Amino acid sequence: MQPGIQKKLYDFIDILRDAGVTVSTDEILALFDAVPRIPFDDRVVFRQSLKTTLVKDFTDIPVFDTCFSEFFEGQASDIDISSLQEDTSQRFSREEADALEDMVRSFMESLSEDLIMEKEADELLSLFLEEIEAAGSSGGTGINLFQQRSDPVLSRYSGQGGEAGDDEERDRVNTLLLTLIKRNLPRKRIGKKINDREDYLLNKYIYQLTPEEIREMREIVRRFGQKLKNRISQRKKRVKHGSFDIKRTIRNSLQYGGVPFKISHRDKKIERPQIVVLCDVSGSVNQYTRFMLLITHTLQSLFSKVRTFAFISNMVEITPLFMEMDPERAINSIFHDTDFTYGWGSNYGRCFDMFVSDYSDSLTKKTTVMILGDARNNNQDPGLHSFIRMKERSKNIFWLNPDKKHLWDWGDSIASIYLPHCTEMKEVNSIIDLSQFIDKLFTDLALNR
Amino acid sequence: MFKDVDETINALAEEKYIASREIATTIFLAMKMEKPVLIEGPAGVGKTDLGKCVSSALDMDLVRLQCYEGLDESKALYEWEYAKQLLYTQILKEKLSCIMEDKDSLKEAVARLSNEEDVFFSDNFLLARPILRAVTSERPCLLLIDEIDKSDSEFEAFLLEVLSDFQVSIPEIGTIKANRKPFVILTSNNAREMSDALKRRCLHLYINYPTRELEEKIVSLKVPECGEKLTTEIVRAVHRIRELQLKKEPSISETLDWARALLLLGQSELNPETAVDTLNFILKYEKDIELAKKQAKNIFIH
Repeated sequence: MQPGIQKKLYDFIDILRDAGVTVSTDEILALFDAVPRIPFDDRVVFRQSLKTTLVKDFTDIPVFDTCFSEFFEGQASDIDISSLQEDTSQRFSREEADALEDMVRSFMESLSEDLIMEKEADELLSLFLEEIEAAGSSGGTGINLFQQRSDPVLSRYSGQGGEAGDDEERDRVNTLLLTLIKRNLPRKRIGKKINDREDYLLNKYIYQLTPEEIREMREIVRRFGQKLKNRISQRKKRVKHGSFDIKRTIRNSLQYGGVPFKISHRDKKIERPQIVVLCDVSGSVNQYTRFMLLITHTLQSLFSKVRTFAFISNMVEITPLFMEMDPERAINSIFHDTDFTYGWGSNYGRCFDMFVSDYSDSLTKKTTVMILGDARNNNQDPGLHSFIRMKERSKNIFWLNPDKKHLWDWGDSIASIYLPHCTEMKEVNSIIDLSQFIDKLFTDLALNR
Repeated sequence: MFKDVDETINALAEEKYIASREIATTIFLAMKMEKPVLIEGPAGVGKTDLGKCVSSALDMDLVRLQCYEGLDESKALYEWEYAKQLLYTQILKEKLSCIMEDKDSLKEAVARLSNEEDVFFSDNFLLARPILRAVTSERPCLLLIDEIDKSDSEFEAFLLEVLSDFQVSIPEIGTIKANRKPFVILTSNNAREMSDALKRRCLHLYINYPTRELEEKIVSLKVPECGEKLTTEIVRAVHRIRELQLKKEPSISETLDWARALLLLGQSELNPETAVDTLNFILKYEKDIELAKKQAKNIFIH
């Protein structure tokens, strides 16, 4: 394989890793096993070869596609270094050109991330030249490299040359350097850009997400939910050896002429958690609401025994809606078709009363109740009595509050009235917060049954 | 053996499987690199079919293992035939006393017995289950492990040895290595995430719903009576329906069912009314059908 291609593939792997795709050594070995077997000129085949060997998690495929098209089909790939090298080949030998590229690379490695992300290529070029000049006057390593090669073209940058009429040559070298920088720039940028954007969105206050960002996040939340689901399902290990299973033992013994040769046991499965989710969908938590409903939907698809309710001042069960429709449509139809209101603003007390009288059959000693809301009760009766009944009838109550902790009792929020009766009240602002909570919740539920 | 990607496509087409270049590339590479393939994707896009067609295109024996919860090594790898062993003991009883006759002490008898070959744990009593069968097969063979996500994670661990070294270790006998490496294809519907160890050993292929051109080809290949006009219209409608926000999108097999149904109804082109009446062939949820009906104008009229 040509060393150039190898280098390029390693660059690409770096980008994937920057973007958050896990690539292990096994996969790299497989890639280098595969590449010699395929024609390079067929873009589709080449792309699929990379994908099939490197990406093992299908949720990473969109990331791969973006990286691939930016790296191999974007600006970076159009820059053809060889023609430029030919152009200047009277002055550069192959090795010198390589050494030059190495220098540019190590220069770019040394730059901080911010510089890489913000500066344009020509700005970086002047930085690079400054550095060389500085190194030249103080005898730094960079310029030594040039001097050792005693290359007249490059040494000009140390300020020793400077003959008139060589401007043209200087320009040429500049162009070459600029090309080198342009070629290396995306390598550093692509993966980071994708990863940073996701990090930014996942960590952003859900309150502050703009509608565009929520749209953008849909895909991320879906991927995120899928990953969470995967992680949880991996933990759902079957516990073998439950109690003695007479029926199966006798059935098996027929094979050995009635001698119970093999003893069978009942399979024992870890019980899946039973969850009841109550979601405040009032205006005071507006953007948050759509988002929380999305999360609620994800929750319902994660666990098999989940009942979901939404409320403002009426408590409405939305489990069947979520079961029938995809989240987007379900959420829209919730706001169209359902009447959550009775009077004005959210009324936690009334809703808890309603829940206890109408739906308390959903609570058992195994149920975990999750309440998503800000506890802003518009100065109405908190319905504490009902809340305590709920607490008594369930295993535990978690309250996820989008407000920051120091705002919990601010205005009409009555968080601290409910607080002593919750197993835990938690500030949940971003998806990261939430996923940590769900992760922990499931582990706890699975462990102390 | 396929020579290149194009030949792979052609060979699969002869088996009536229309493969995209992506699919063909992965199959081609897997064959050349002798690596297993893990195929994922929505239900009904032809994951299992691909396995079957590859085996017949390459003239390989197909050994299929359907996974389910509780599948264990005795059903997937091998099992000892206890009943036969018991019977054998009875038969051997006399023979044994013959051998032992001239020995006086128990100690000598045991020594004599252990000199004999281990008769019980030998190939004679080994019941080969699909995986062992694929490994020991004399003819080239394709092992199709279907819906691996339905199995338990312990089962995956048994598979690891087969997938990386193409061998099966049996404690009583030793390691049985494949005479010729089987072509292994695993399919998964993502009910459960596969472990990293398993994924590392495989090439990964994600099959999504096909493009319009590809799906038209599939329909005209499988339901040739359909005619060009109806095929185009059906596929266009299905693709538009897939763009709606549905609970379950129609799969290729449902497109084919629909095409056959419309044919039986004597349609030669897609008439919006008949189409709406037969939506239940491609949509399996009441709410999805409702939504499609609401959008019928956009879907069926162009």
